[in-house]
Amino acid sequence: MLELKDLYFSVGDRNIIDGINYTFEKGKFYGITGPNGSGKTTLAKLIMGINTPNAGEIRFGGKEISQWPITERAREGIAYSFQQPARFKGITFRDLLAMAAGTDDEDMLLALLRRVGICSLSFLDKPVDAKLSGGEIKKIELATTIARNPRLAIYDEPDTGIDLWTIQPMVRLLKREQKEHGTTTIVVSHNRAFLEAADIVLMINEGKLAYRGDLQGALPMLNDLSACNYRKCVGDRDVGCYR
Amino acid sequence: MLDAIDKELLAAVADLEGLPKGAFNIRKNGRLLKREVSANIDIESHADGQGITVTIKPGTVNESVHIPVILSQAGLYDVVYNNFIIGADSDVTIIAGCGIHCGGLEPEGHAGIHEFRIGPKAKVKYVEKHYARGPGRGRRSLNPTTKVFLDAGATAEMELTQIGGVDEANRVNEAVLGPDSLLLITERVLTEGSQKAVSTNNITLEGAGSRANMISRSVIKGDSQQDFYATLDALAPCFGHIECDAIIMDSGRNETVPSLKARHPDAALTHEASIGKIASDQLMKLMSLGLTYDEAVNRIIQGFLK
Repeated sequence: MLELKDLYFSVGDRNIIDGINYTFEKGKFYGITGPNGSGKTTLAKLIMGINTPNAGEIRFGGKEISQWPITERAREGIAYSFQQPARFKGITFRDLLAMAAGTDDEDMLLALLRRVGICSLSFLDKPVDAKLSGGEIKKIELATTIARNPRLAIYDEPDTGIDLWTIQPMVRLLKREQKEHGTTTIVVSHNRAFLEAADIVLMINEGKLAYRGDLQGALPMLNDLSACNYRKCVGDRDVGCYR
Repeated sequence: MLDAIDKELLAAVADLEGLPKGAFNIRKNGRLLKREVSANIDIESHADGQGITVTIKPGTVNESVHIPVILSQAGLYDVVYNNFIIGADSDVTIIAGCGIHCGGLEPEGHAGIHEFRIGPKAKVKYVEKHYARGPGRGRRSLNPTTKVFLDAGATAEMELTQIGGVDEANRVNEAVLGPDSLLLITERVLTEGSQKAVSTNNITLEGAGSRANMISRSVIKGDSQQDFYATLDALAPCFGHIECDAIIMDSGRNETVPSLKARHPDAALTHEASIGKIASDQLMKLMSLGLTYDEAVNRIIQGFLK
């Protein structure tokens, strides 16, 4: 349902995404992992249209969308949960949820709250501003993504700022969405809980797809420090990698 | 009595579909159009006809008074001096505002000087909207001044809004806070085209335990310009905060100068100010929810000025 063909994205002379080819299957749960700076978030942003590739194709449901704006991709059924969600002045969770769901009907919004597991109604009228905690804003981000009823949901590090007790319920929620709504799910994460939940783990390193398969097969690479970009610090000017 | 233009202006500045309930005073083109008083709220004209005194009895609660002004006469510059005397322990809402309809080439304008004397432990919510429209090209100016004097334990919450169409505005807010009083001002101004607006605010925290919070939200479109000056002058142990944010669109210009003066060692004064374009992460978020770029901009501005 989503096909990446010879995908490149560079900044200056550095290839952030360096020739990725991969086809995501409908209804599967993908975990994308890799070292910091390997290109995971950039790949997710290329799919959503936040960045535009320098070369290559992105085909979604058979349509070539690599030059489409964010809005068109959203309307086509792609939803995106930002790693660092935007904060506003004068916009509440209710406003965002209504925009995401395309309705301000109270019953529909309450049904959405139940679906994403937010039990407090007062949460609905919270301003989405700088006063929200990291965990609260991530819950809002997750809820607005699910409220889109997307065909493809992309979550960029959904556990950032989330407490340990919330991570497993969050994994279960995304799995339930995958199962009940057939949502193709891509989670960019370092967290083992999401990788264990994934049908397929993709590992990105230096802009290339270094591994595709199950978590078991990825473990040797995940435990191999040589895959880490920080190995570059070893050498004449070795400052001593903390790993 | 109210024609279609009057009704539209009243709806825009005072959210009124027709004549309000309770006490009100509607001024049209420099003259009294209609007035009602209530058992607890009295309204009297000044001898020179240039304004009113609204007197609210002590202990009056859950009552409101509307005092909108509408202008549709070419070449008129209407000046009014309105006084509000709010009795102790009352809790009232005052809805003011001025709507201008400009149909010709001649300028039209209004200057409303509103002075509030808020008695001990009284609470006032003051809502003021300014708006101008019409096919005419005459300059529309609105120059409101509010002066607020808060007695011990009094609270004033002021929502001041200029929602569009005003070519020139010179806005002045002054306040003197007594002991344990609280002042909350939220000012929202939108300018576009070649409009100009200046907002000057001087708040004196005179009484111990007084608190003031001034929030300014500016949206500056086209080639318009807005300048914002706010001074908190603390003479006692008190708390004061200024938050001023300006969104610049197109070629708009802005000068923002918050000023804090602590003349007492136990004064706590803070400010935060920002000027800039709409943040790209906000736009991307709303676009990822299916809004177009323009829809996202409008929604962000709408929220910002809400």
